[in-house]
Amino acid sequence: MWMKAVGSLLVTFSCGALGAWKAGQWKEHRKMLEQLRKMILLLKGEILYAHSPLEEALEQAGRKSEGVLASFFIQVASRIQDREGEVFFELWKEEIQNHKRNFLFTEKECAELKAFGEHLGYLDLDMQERTIALYLEQLDLSIDYYRSHEQEQTKLFTSLGVMGGLFLSIILC
Amino acid sequence: MENKDELIKIFSRKIREILANASLNFDKVQEIRLRVQAPLLLVMDNREYYVTENGRLSSQRKEAYVVSQEELKETMEHISRHSLYAFEEEVKQGFLTIQGGHRIGLAGKAILDERGIRTIKYISFLNIRLAHQIIGCADRIMPYLYENKEVLHTLIISPPRCGKTTLLRDVIRQLSNGVGSQKGVNVGVVDERSEIGACFHGAPQNDLGIRTDILDCCPKAKGMMMMIRTMSPRVIAVDEVGSREDLDAMEYVMNCGCKLVATVHGNSVEDMLQKPVLQRLIQEKRFERYILLDNQKEIGHLGGIFDSRGTCLCG
Repeated sequence: MWMKAVGSLLVTFSCGALGAWKAGQWKEHRKMLEQLRKMILLLKGEILYAHSPLEEALEQAGRKSEGVLASFFIQVASRIQDREGEVFFELWKEEIQNHKRNFLFTEKECAELKAFGEHLGYLDLDMQERTIALYLEQLDLSIDYYRSHEQEQTKLFTSLGVMGGLFLSIILC
Repeated sequence: MENKDELIKIFSRKIREILANASLNFDKVQEIRLRVQAPLLLVMDNREYYVTENGRLSSQRKEAYVVSQEELKETMEHISRHSLYAFEEEVKQGFLTIQGGHRIGLAGKAILDERGIRTIKYISFLNIRLAHQIIGCADRIMPYLYENKEVLHTLIISPPRCGKTTLLRDVIRQLSNGVGSQKGVNVGVVDERSEIGACFHGAPQNDLGIRTDILDCCPKAKGMMMMIRTMSPRVIAVDEVGSREDLDAMEYVMNCGCKLVATVHGNSVEDMLQKPVLQRLIQEKRFERYILLDNQKEIGHLGGIFDSRGTCLCG
């Protein structure tokens, strides 16, 4: 009997933890989007005010941040420096693909990030400003969504975890 | 050339493959020309060659590799390091300078607005002019640039492609380090096109001497004033003077007790008298030495050294 009780407790606890982890992921996702927004603002500063070429701008923005996004920016910068003959959009897409599993982004967000690279570096400073502004708007929408649903989603995932655990315990007992 | 591999990376994949296969001595290459739907051309030792698809130099046009619009576009992307916006001002002026101090001349369709040329689009013609650092090329003229242990105001006159920037670079280096019994002096270089020092991320890649300060990418006229106010140079060096603002700044430099070493396009001192901007300075005998270059026998051939009255001192 006590074995069943311990088992039920473990199942309930594990499912609860899973729910809490999922709720945490939501928060982490929002934080990663915010970090990306901050890095895009740094990139904007480097491009619009210092007129730095992309490799310098990406490297500077990368060095002022940390984590997976920083290493993504630095990796793109280093590939531009290597000048192996690819066009920028090609290597931008490749690096998103390489880093994708470490990003917490959805397919839609990854597609937006890819599309951002399509026009980066193209034409003049006005074009860079507009491209960056458009992407920042998209990021703001995503961040707002994650922020406004954070409380409800955290509660939902945590309760679902605990309830699911209890349900499984009842079934198993 | 030390950075041959770096240099060929500015070309499209196909052209870099061709140039990599070519057994070229890049120290002797002066220009590489890319024109849309036209042969890939290379100027070496003052002779023009067609480059074939397997990288051979030929005098037969039919053997030449023909450059496509796509390749020019790709080359432009590599030249601008995928960041054409960062070179907006340079593109407006029709050239940009890349790592190593090599100058890329561009032509295409000029887009105008009320302020003048806004940009150049459909860039279909590129002239890659290779910069060469020749240490010691000014050895012969250095003794003429001093009088009573003082540097003299000097004007280097030369037609395009005769090595005036190369000579100026070595003059700066020697003035800065000192030559024989002459002590080195502080030299301020205003390097508007990044050709003299070839600065990359702020560090000069050409040897301009130990007492040289470089103001990179700064308009000459403003730069000369800034240098005098901030770096207290003994000598100011500038390349390719010519505008009215340059003249005012040069006068300011000369009146401040600094010495000026400058270069200008031309064939002779008489030519300079035809230039409205420089005419007055020459008539007033402000320049104490004129160094004349030509390419009659070889690039950078010394045509003569003249004093302020036009007396030939050498050559």
